[in-house]
Amino acid sequence: MELFVQQLVNGLTLGGVYALIALGYTLIYGVLQLLNFAHGEVYMVGAFTGFFVMVGLGGPGKPIVPVWLMIVAMFLAAMVVSGLLGVGIERFAYRPLRESTRIAPLISALGVSLFLQNAVLLLFGSRVRSYDTPRYWSGAGPQVAGVQVNPVRILVLVLAIILMVGLTRLVEKTAFGRGMRAVAYDRDAAVMMGIDVNKVIVLVFFVASALAGAAGVMVGLVFFNVNNYMGFLAGLKGFTAAVVGGIGSIPGAMLGGLLIGLIESFTTAYVSANFASVLSFLVLILVMLLKPRGLLGTRAIVKV
Amino acid sequence: MRAQPEPAGAALSDGPPGPLTPLLQLSGINTFYGPVHILEDVNLVVGKGELVCLLGGNACGKSTTLKTALGLVAPRTGTVTFDGVDVTSRPTSERVRRGMAVVPENRRLFAPMTVLENLQIGAWVRGAPDPADLDRVFELFPLLEQRSAQIAGTLSGGEQQMVAMGRALMSRPSLMLMDEPSMGLSPRLVEQSFELIETLHRDGVSMLIVEQNANMALSIADRGYVLQTGRIVLRGSAQELSNHDELRRAYLGR
Amino acid sequence: MAEESLAIGTDEWVAAHEGRTSGQVQGPVARTFGRLPWWVWGSIAVLVAVVLPLIGSTYLMRVGVNLGLFLMLALGLNLVVGYAGLLDIGYVAFYGLGAYGFAMLASDKFGVHLPTVVAVPVVVAAVSIFGLVLGLAARRLLGDYLAIVTLFFGQMFVEFALSGDAITVPGRAEQVDLTGGTNGITDVDRFSFLGVEFSSDRWYYYLLVVLVVLLALAVRRLDGSRIGRAWKAVGQDPLAAEAMTMPVNRLKIMAFVVGAGIAGLAGTVFAAVQRGVFPSSFDLPLLILLYAAVILGGSGSLKGALIGAALLSLLPEALREPSYSEMVFVLLLVAGLALAVRSWRDRIIVVVATVVFGFVMNLLFTLLHVQGVPASAWTSGPVSTLLGHWLFVPQDRVLWGNLGFVGLVVLLAVLTLVGTRVRPILLPAIVWLSIFVWFVRLADVPSITRQLLIGALLIVLMIVRPQGLFGRRQVEVL
Repeated sequence: MELFVQQLVNGLTLGGVYALIALGYTLIYGVLQLLNFAHGEVYMVGAFTGFFVMVGLGGPGKPIVPVWLMIVAMFLAAMVVSGLLGVGIERFAYRPLRESTRIAPLISALGVSLFLQNAVLLLFGSRVRSYDTPRYWSGAGPQVAGVQVNPVRILVLVLAIILMVGLTRLVEKTAFGRGMRAVAYDRDAAVMMGIDVNKVIVLVFFVASALAGAAGVMVGLVFFNVNNYMGFLAGLKGFTAAVVGGIGSIPGAMLGGLLIGLIESFTTAYVSANFASVLSFLVLILVMLLKPRGLLGTRAIVKV
Repeated sequence: MRAQPEPAGAALSDGPPGPLTPLLQLSGINTFYGPVHILEDVNLVVGKGELVCLLGGNACGKSTTLKTALGLVAPRTGTVTFDGVDVTSRPTSERVRRGMAVVPENRRLFAPMTVLENLQIGAWVRGAPDPADLDRVFELFPLLEQRSAQIAGTLSGGEQQMVAMGRALMSRPSLMLMDEPSMGLSPRLVEQSFELIETLHRDGVSMLIVEQNANMALSIADRGYVLQTGRIVLRGSAQELSNHDELRRAYLGR
Repeated sequence: MAEESLAIGTDEWVAAHEGRTSGQVQGPVARTFGRLPWWVWGSIAVLVAVVLPLIGSTYLMRVGVNLGLFLMLALGLNLVVGYAGLLDIGYVAFYGLGAYGFAMLASDKFGVHLPTVVAVPVVVAAVSIFGLVLGLAARRLLGDYLAIVTLFFGQMFVEFALSGDAITVPGRAEQVDLTGGTNGITDVDRFSFLGVEFSSDRWYYYLLVVLVVLLALAVRRLDGSRIGRAWKAVGQDPLAAEAMTMPVNRLKIMAFVVGAGIAGLAGTVFAAVQRGVFPSSFDLPLLILLYAAVILGGSGSLKGALIGAALLSLLPEALREPSYSEMVFVLLLVAGLALAVRSWRDRIIVVVATVVFGFVMNLLFTLLHVQGVPASAWTSGPVSTLLGHWLFVPQDRVLWGNLGFVGLVVLLAVLTLVGTRVRPILLPAIVWLSIFVWFVRLADVPSITRQLLIGALLIVLMIVRPQGLFGRRQVEVL
C-alpha cells in the first residue's frame, strides 16, 4: 500500500511534467501542423537555466535569498529563457519554411535539435550537474493515506496543475486564445480576418516553450540531474503523451501526460525500469492502431 | 502567341464615372505562382460607394485578383492603393485595419467555434470588440442573435453566409471584398444573399464582388470587369455589360 | 484578345501554360552534371574507387569502408524516403539489427559461428521481416504518424541494445544477456567466402565497391521500371496513386522491406569489418547524418544520394586533423564568401574590412589585458607574425571561444534579419569571428563541431534549397 501511494504520487508528478511538455507539442502542432522535434532541447535549456540561476543565487549550499524566492526566480528565468529560445527557433528555423514542403520543417527541426544539443555541450561540457534539492530543501511532507510524501513532488504537481489551468483559461477565455484557435483551424481564413498570424505564432511558441522550461526546472528539482542529452528522451515522452492524448488537443495532452507518467512509474516499481519506455511505446502503438486520432483528438493527421 | 491586347482591356466606357474618388485601385498588376504568370497587367478601380463586380470563367484569375487586393498574394509588379495609401507591401492585417474586409470563397467560418466567437474574431483588428458593432450585426441578422452560442459548423448554408457577412462587418469596413457569394447556395439563398449585399451597399459600404453568376452580379452592380486568362478583356457599366453580345453569349446564356 | 470570342473554361489557359512559365526549373549543379551521360560519371567514380587502394594507406581504406557503408545506407534510405515518400526515422535500427544479428550468429557470444554464406542471408532475411512487421504496423499511418512510430522503433532498438544484457525471463533465476549492454558484442567473425578470409580492410573495401555499384545499378534500373514509377507516385500523392488502383499499402510495405534489407546487409558488413557492435553506433546522430546526405543530394535522386553521402561522409574526415581542418575551413569560408558577395568591388571591400577588423579586435584584446598566446597556425616567418597580430588567441581558449561562438550565432541570426544594404557591414565581423572561434575553440573539439555543422547545414539547406542539389523544385499552385 505504501509503495502504491508513493508510486501514485511519483507517477502524477512525472505525469504533470510530461503533460507540460506534451502541451508544448500540441500547441505548436495545433497552429502549425509541425512536429517540433526541437521541443525537448528547449526543455533541456530550461533545466540548465534553472540550474545556473540557482548557482548564481548561492547554489545548493548557501542560498543568499530565501529558498522560496530562489525557486520562484529559477522558474521565472527558465520560462523566460526557454520562451525566447522557442521564439528564436520559430523565427530562424521554421518561419522561412512556412510555405515549403511538409518534410522541410521536420528536417529543419532535427537540425535545430542536433545544433542545440551540441551547442550546450560545447558551452557547458558533458558534466552532469545536480540541482541537489535536498541540501536546501528537506522537511516532512504531508501525509497521504498514512504515507509520508516528498514536499518537492507536491509543489511540482501543484505548479503543473496551476500552469495547466492557466493555459486552459488563456486559450478559452481570452482574445488571444480565440485568435490562436482561429489560426489553428484555418490559417488562411485567420489572415483574411486581419489576424497577424506571425504574432499569434510567436506567442504560441513563447507559451509552449515557457511551459517546457518550467518542466525542465521541475525535473531538476525532483530528479536533480541535468545534462545536455536529457532533452531527447523527455521530449520523446512528452511527444508520446501528446500523441496518445490526441495531438492538437489540450485536454488530450494533459491526459496523455498523466497516463504516460503513471505507466512509467508503476512499471518501474512493479516490473522493471528497463521496460518503462517499452511499455509507453506499446501504449502508443495500441492507441494509434485502435484510435488513430488519440484518446481525445478530434483531428487526424492526414496531410503527408 | 497572339498579338498583345490593349493592356487595360476594351473599355465600353471609362469608369469610374463622375466625381467618384477611388477607394481601391490596382494598377499594372502582374502576379506569378512560381514560374507561372497568373495575372497580366490588371488595372481595376473601385470608387467610394461603388458596387463593382469582377466576372470570368474558372481559373481565370478572379480569386487571385482579390487575393492581391487583400495582400494574400504579392504581385511581382504593380501597385495596390487603398484609400489614397499605397499598401502594396503592407500585410493583410494592416489592410484590414484600414478598412478592407473579406467574405471568403466558401465562407471559411471557424467551424468548431461559436457564432459569437466567429463574430468576435471579425473584430480582431479593432482590439476590444465594440458592443455597438455587435448590435448592428444582430440588427441586420436577427437570427444570429438567437444562434450566437451555437457552433458555427452546425449552421445551415444560408446561416453560415450570414455569419460570414456579419463577421466581415464586425471590423467596420469601408470596402467589402466578396469571393463567390453565390457558391454552394440554393437559388433562393443566392437571391437572399444578393439582397443582403444590396442592403449593405445602400448602407454605404463599397463592394468588390467576384462572381461566376454574371446575371446575378450584373443585376446589382454599378460597374463590372471581365477577366479572361489573367487579363482584363472588358470593362464597363453593368448596363453596358449586360447588353454586350459576346459576353451574353459566353456568360449569360441568352 | 477582346476582338476574339470570350472563351469559357480553362483549356486555353492550360494550353498556353508552357508559354507562361519562366525561369529554370533545374538547378545549376544538376545542369552541370547533365552535360555528360551518367555512365561516364559512373565509370570515372568506379575507376577511382578501384585504383585508390593501390596508393592508399590503411587510414584511407578505413575511410573508404565507412564511405561504402554510408553510401549503401543512403541508397536504401533514398528508396524509402525519396521514392516512396515514407518518413522513416527509425531506419538506422535496421542497420543495427543487421549488425547485431550477424554478431550473434558469428561470434563467441553464444558460441555460434555460422559461415558467412549462411549468416548473411539469414540476417538480411530476418531484418527484412522486421521491416515487414513495422511496415504492416505503419501501413495505414500517414506522414507524421509514420515518423512518430518509426522514431520510437529506432529508439526502442537502441534501448534494447543498451539494456539487453540483463533480461529477466520468467521461470529462470539468472538474467539472460543477449546484447552485451553498453559493452556490445566483440570478437565478431570476419567474413569468409570459399575458405578465403577477409582479413584486412582492403577486402571489405572491394566488397563494398561491388555492393554499392550493384545497388546503384539496381536503383537506376528501378527508375524506369513499373515499380519505381509506382513508388514515386505513392511518394508524391498516395491518394492519387490509390485512385489509379495502385496497391498503395503493399507498395509502401515493399519499400520498407527493401530498405530494411539493404540496411541489414550493410549492418552485417559493418559488424564484420569492425569485429564488434556497440549500441552507440546506431543512435540518432547517424540517422540525422543519413537524412542530411539524402536531402543534400536531393531526395529521390540517385546521383544526389550518392554525392550527398560522399560529401557528408568525407567532410568529417577533413575535420578530424586540426591542422588540416583549419586549412579546409578557411578555404570553405573563402569559397562561401566568394559566392555570397557577387561583385569584385564588394569582395575587395569585405576582405580589407575583415583585415582591419581583425587588427582592431587584436588591439581591443590587448587594451583589455586579456592573456594571450601567439597564433601558432601555419608556418613561422613574417606571414605568421602578421597573422599573430590579426588573430588573437587568448589563454583561456574555452571561455573566449564560447563567447565568440555565442556572438557568432547572434551575428548570423542578425544577418538573416537585416536588409541587403546592411549585410556587407556585418560580413567582416562574421568572417573574423568565425575564424577566431574555429581556431580558438571548434578545431579542438571535432566531434562536437561536426554535429554543430550538420545541424546548421540541415537548417540552412531546408531554407535555401529544400529540394537539394539535384532535386527539382515543385511548384505548388494555390
